Amino acid sequence: MSPVVQSHGKKITAADNLYTVILAVAFLVVLAAAVFVTYQCYSQYDTIFKIQ
Amino acid sequence: MSTLTKVLIVLLTIASIFLCGIVVTYVANADNYKKKYDNLNSNYQAAKKNEDNAKTQLNNTIEEKNRDTEKLGEQIASLEEQINKLISDLANAERERDDANRKVNNWAAIVMDFSKTIENNEKLVKNALTERDLKEAELIKQDKELKDTTAALMENMAIVKQLQEESKRLLEEKTELQNKLDLYLRQYGKAVAEPTPVTAVQDVVGLAPPVKDIDLSGSITEVDLKNLLAEISIGAADGVKEGMRFHLTRGDKFICDVVILDVWPEKAVGWLDLVQEDQPQDQPQINDKVSTNL
Repeated sequence: MSPVVQSHGKKITAADNLYTVILAVAFLVVLAAAVFVTYQCYSQYDTIFKIQ
Repeated sequence: MSTLTKVLIVLLTIASIFLCGIVVTYVANADNYKKKYDNLNSNYQAAKKNEDNAKTQLNNTIEEKNRDTEKLGEQIASLEEQINKLISDLANAERERDDANRKVNNWAAIVMDFSKTIENNEKLVKNALTERDLKEAELIKQDKELKDTTAALMENMAIVKQLQEESKRLLEEKTELQNKLDLYLRQYGKAVAEPTPVTAVQDVVGLAPPVKDIDLSGSITEVDLKNLLAEISIGAADGVKEGMRFHLTRGDKFICDVVILDVWPEKAVGWLDLVQEDQPQDQPQINDKVSTNL
């Protein structure tokens, strides 16, 4: 998906690949947050889900 | 791709970033409760241990305190006994002190009285010594006078003894001459009148002469019961004198008395006194004994 430049007075619209990247970023952010949370849980409580 | 999908993708991305940021921020700033729990647990265990130690120490302290309390109670009891004893001793001591004070006061009064008495006695002793000195001086003087008087008395006694011997000799001569004159005048029926001394004899109060028994004894030679007269066998030669009283006895029996009326050298006549006329066997008879002493 590459951006398509619309001439002749048409609306400029982003390519579909852009949204794919945005979704990838969002996914990476969520993944990084989950990893971080998991790391913190494990480092602090020595487990991820179990409640001692 | 539709616009709605695109908008949702953007919103989803923004929301994901926002929520993930919040979650990461929260997790990063969240407290380490396990660590806190461990710390608190270790602190709790230490505190519990300290509590146990403190309880043990408290129990030990309480036991020691109880022992000390018991000891102190015993000491207090013994001290109270000592206090009571000391109080009683104090009361006794105070009573004895009061008694001693009273005795001291009494003795002080007695000592004062004794002091006054001693002063009076000293004055009396001084007066007595002075008087004794005067009396000794007077006694010495009287002793001296007594010695002089004794010497004079001895001289006078010697003179009196000489005069008595001379008087005795003169009396013997007078008696002899009187007897001769009586014998001479009796032949003529006369008697010598009692000579009257030219100088009156002054009655001098003197010692009574010693009395001794005449102890004359004889017998009845003649009796006249009608006139109550009797004649005895001793006379002036034996020492019979007028007025003498003879006791007439027969054996151990008293008969009567004979009062001499007239005396001759060898015999004498007297009248019968105390004659028991109602009893004929007790009448005086010849050969009854007469004597001046029973």
